Amino acid sequence: MLKVPYVTGYLTEHFADDEFATLEGYERKGGYRAAREAITGMSPADVIELVKTAGLQGRGGAGFSAGLKWSFMPTDTDKPKYLVCNADESEPGSFKDRILLERGAHQLLEGILIAAWATGAEKTFVYIRGEYAQPARVLQRCIDEAYAKGYLGANVMKTGFRHDVVVTRGAGAYICGEETGLLESLEGKKGQPRKKPPFPAEYGAFGMPTTVNNVETFSHVPHIVAKGADWFRGFGTEKSPGTTIFGVSGHVERPGLYELPLGTRLDEIIFEYAGGVPNGRKLKGVIPGGMSMPILPAGQIDVPMANESLRERKTMLGTGGIMVMDETTCMVRTACVITYFFRDESCGQCTQCREGTGWLNKIVNRIERGAGLPEDLEILVDIAGKMEGQTICAFADAAAWPVQGLMRHFRSDFEAHVQHKKCPFPESFEL
Amino acid sequence: MPKFTVDGRPVEAAEGRTILQALDDAGLLMNGVSVPHYCWHPKLSIDGSCRLCQVEVEGIPKLQIACNTVVREGMVVRTETERVKQAREGVMELLLVNHPLDCPICDQAGECKLQDYAFEYGAVGSRSREPRRALKKNVDLGPTIVFDQERCILCRRCVRFCDEIPGTRELAVVNRGDHSVIETFPGVPLENDYSMNVADICPVGALTTRDFRFKIRVWFLADVPGVCTGCAKGCNVHLGVANNKVYRYVPRRNDAVNDTWICDTGRMSYARVGGVGRLRQCFVRGELGVPEAVDFDQALRVAAERLARLRDAKGAGVIAGIASPHATNEDLFVLKRFLRALGTENSGMAVVRGDSDAILVEAEKAPNAAGARALGFPAATGVIDRIAGGGIDGLVVLGHDLIHEQFLGGVDALARLDTVIVLDPHASALEHVAHVAFPTRLAAEKYGTLTNAAGRVQRVEPAVEPRWDARSEGEVLFALGAALGLEGFDGRYDARDISSALASQVPAFAGCSWDEVGGGGAPLTENPA
Repeated sequence: MLKVPYVTGYLTEHFADDEFATLEGYERKGGYRAAREAITGMSPADVIELVKTAGLQGRGGAGFSAGLKWSFMPTDTDKPKYLVCNADESEPGSFKDRILLERGAHQLLEGILIAAWATGAEKTFVYIRGEYAQPARVLQRCIDEAYAKGYLGANVMKTGFRHDVVVTRGAGAYICGEETGLLESLEGKKGQPRKKPPFPAEYGAFGMPTTVNNVETFSHVPHIVAKGADWFRGFGTEKSPGTTIFGVSGHVERPGLYELPLGTRLDEIIFEYAGGVPNGRKLKGVIPGGMSMPILPAGQIDVPMANESLRERKTMLGTGGIMVMDETTCMVRTACVITYFFRDESCGQCTQCREGTGWLNKIVNRIERGAGLPEDLEILVDIAGKMEGQTICAFADAAAWPVQGLMRHFRSDFEAHVQHKKCPFPESFEL
Repeated sequence: MPKFTVDGRPVEAAEGRTILQALDDAGLLMNGVSVPHYCWHPKLSIDGSCRLCQVEVEGIPKLQIACNTVVREGMVVRTETERVKQAREGVMELLLVNHPLDCPICDQAGECKLQDYAFEYGAVGSRSREPRRALKKNVDLGPTIVFDQERCILCRRCVRFCDEIPGTRELAVVNRGDHSVIETFPGVPLENDYSMNVADICPVGALTTRDFRFKIRVWFLADVPGVCTGCAKGCNVHLGVANNKVYRYVPRRNDAVNDTWICDTGRMSYARVGGVGRLRQCFVRGELGVPEAVDFDQALRVAAERLARLRDAKGAGVIAGIASPHATNEDLFVLKRFLRALGTENSGMAVVRGDSDAILVEAEKAPNAAGARALGFPAATGVIDRIAGGGIDGLVVLGHDLIHEQFLGGVDALARLDTVIVLDPHASALEHVAHVAFPTRLAAEKYGTLTNAAGRVQRVEPAVEPRWDARSEGEVLFALGAALGLEGFDGRYDARDISSALASQVPAFAGCSWDEVGGGGAPLTENPA
C-alpha cells in the first residue's frame, strides 16, 4: 500500500505520484526551477534574507530560525564550507522525514542546492539513520539522477557553481541526531556531542564551517523560493509560519502523517483528522512533539501546535510527533519506557545525563513494581531539575522534561502506585 | 590581556584563556578561588563533560562551565552563589549514585578528589536506594596499571592523556550512557613509558599503579619535594616517604620542566633509594690487597696519607679528579676547590648516555652533567688519555660512570695507579681497584642543587636518612681537605652554605643558591651546554 499522508499540503502534495520520486516526474511538477532561479538570479545574501523573512523555523525539534542559522556561516573563509542534512530521524513518535526521503527526495535535494548556494557550501553530507535503508536507497538513486542531469557536481546547471551530495548512514544511535554528535559520527568517531563553543558554523564537519538542517527544513526551501515569503507566511501563525508534517501515533483511529499548518489545534488533529480515540475510551494524555517533549493531559489539548502557544503549557512542538494515550494507559509505565530509552541512548559524557538517566529509570521501575516510597516522587522531580540545562547538549533536557511533565500532570498515577504498592492500571500496555 | 573578576577579585587573563585556565595561570585555582573540577586538567585538552566547574557568569542565564568559557574583558564570574552550590551538589550526588564507596580498601583514599569534593561540596545525606552498578574491580590494563571499573567517574583524563601526551592512544571509552567503561583495545595493552601518569591524573581510585597498590595508606606518607635523578631532565617529584623509606615518586608540577608528568622509568627509579647495590661502609685496601672495612675517620686518615705521599713524591700534577654527574652542584664545587687547593688542574666528568625521547627523557642518564660542565669540568676523555699515557698516578673519583663501557669499560686501566680514592653511593667494580672508598649519599639523602639539561638549577633535600654512615661527596672532600691541611677547608660543612658560596663565586650560578631557587628552580645565568 502506498504510504502517503492522510492530509497533504505543499510538501506532500504529489507524494501519491510514484513519478514524483524521479527526476523527470519531479521536474514535470515544476521541480528544480526554484534552485535554478536562486542560483542564477539571486545573490546568496538575498536567499538568506528571503528565508529569514519567510520565518522558516528548523523542523528538527529546536525550532531555530533557518535563515539566521545560515547567516552564521562565515563569508570570509578560505576553508571549504559544508552542509549537513540531518536525516537521523530517531525521536520516538516521529516518522515524517522518512516519507520526505522516500517520496520527495528531489524536493529535498533542491532545498539542499538552494541552501548550498545561500551559504556557499561545496558539499552536503546527508546523514541518514542506519535503519532507513529504503529511504537511503531512494535518495541515492535521486542523487545519481541529479548528477547525470548536471544538477549536482562540478558545474551545477552550467552555472559554474559546484555542489556535491554524499549519503552517510548512521549506526543506530539516537544521540547522532544531535547536530554535533552527528558531526562526530560523520567523521567516523563515536557519536558524542561536542562542547560549544565552537559552534558548527565555525568548526563543523571535519573542522570546516558547517550548517546542519533537518530534512523537512530543507524541503520547505524550494517552495519559499518559488512562491515567496508572503505566500509561506500565509500558512501557520505569525511566529510559526508554514506547514509541518505531524506524525500521529498511539490510541487514535487513524495513526499516520498529516501535513497541516503550524498552529493547527492539537485536539483538532487528534479528533478531527486522526479520528479520535478508538474503542469508546477517553483520552488521558498526549505527548505533542516526540517523546522528549513534556506530556499534556487531556484537558489541555485545546492548544495550537506552535512553539509560542505550546510553551505556555510548558511543552514544545519538537518534531511534531504526536503520541496519544487513552485512559487505560499507566503513566508510570510510560515513564519506565521513556526513561529506559534515554538511559539506553545517553552518550555518557556528562555526569548529570549519564548518571541521572539511569537513576530516573531505576526509580520509576521500582515504583511500577510496587516498591516506591512517597519521597521518590520528590527525588524524581529534583533529579530531573538537576539534569536540565547543565550539560553539553540538550539530551539531558530531553530526558528530564518528560519526567517533569508526567510528574506535573499525572502525579496521582505515581502516588497510587506508591500507596497500593502495585500498578493500578491492569489494562495498560505491558512493559 | 582581558581583565575580569571572580567573586569580586580582579584577575588578569591571557588572550583566549578560559576561566579555569586563567585562574590556574594566576595560581589562584583551588588556592584562593575554589572551582572544583574533574575532567579539566591543566595539561590536557578541554573536555567539558564532568560539569562540576559550573559558575555564574553575569549576563548569561545558564550556568557556564569554567573550563570552556573564554574570559572576556569585564566578565563578572561568581563561584559561591546558591545556584553554583546547588549545581555542584547535584553533580556530586550523581557521581556518587553508582560509586562503590569502598574507600576503606581503596588506595586513593586520602588523596581522592571524589572524597575531597564530596566532603567540601556534596550534600550531607544520600538519597539513592537503588543497587549500584556492578562492574569489574580488577582489570589488567597493562603491565603497570590496574583498573577498577566501578570507581571510575569517566572524566576521561586517562584517555586524553594517552591520546595527547605519549600519543599512544591505548585507552577509549566503550559503550554508552551508564554502561560506559574505559577499555583498551583487544590485544593492545596500556604500555608506554608514560603509562603510570594515568594513575596520578585519575581523580579517583580507578587507576592505580601495580607498583604502589596496597603498599601503604597515603596519609602515612610525607611528600618531600625533590628531583628525579634518572636522567638530565630533572623532572620534579614528590618523594612519598614513611618509615625512612621512599615508597614512590609522583610528579610535582613544574611547567618549566616536566609539566605534570614523569616517565615510568624515572618514576620507578625511586626504588634505587635505599635499594640494593649501595656502598654501605668505608673501606681501605689492606696490606694483602684485601679491602678492610674501617670507620670514616680511619678511611679519611688513609686517604689523606696516600694523597699527601703521592703529592710530595711526584707533585700534585699526577693527581686527577673525576666529577660525578650524579653529585650535586655543591659536591662538585667542593671537588673543584679541593683539586685547586691540592694544586692540580686535572679533572673530567663522565656521563653515561642512553635513549631519549621527544617528551621528557634526556640522553644523559644523570641529573647533573650540566652542572659539572657549568663548573668547568671538561669531558673525561682528557684524563682518560693521560691515565692511558701513564701521566696520572692518583685519582679521586666520584661515582662510577667512568668505568662504564662508554668510557673505560672496566677497571683494568686503573689497576696500576698508586692511589684511587672512590666516593660513590653505589657499589661498583671500582672497589676492586680502590685504595680507599667512601659511601656517599644520593640526591634524596642530602641538601643540594642539580642542574638539568636545560640549565635549570633545582634543589633537593633529605627525604630519608641512610642507615649507615654515608656522607655527601662534598662533606667527604671537605673533611679530606681539612685532613690534608688545605686552605679554606676548615670549620663545619653545610651544603646550603656551600650553595651560597657557589652562587656568589661562580658567575653562571648567580642567583642559583639552594635558598634562592626555591621549589621551582631557576636557570643558570649562562649555560655552557
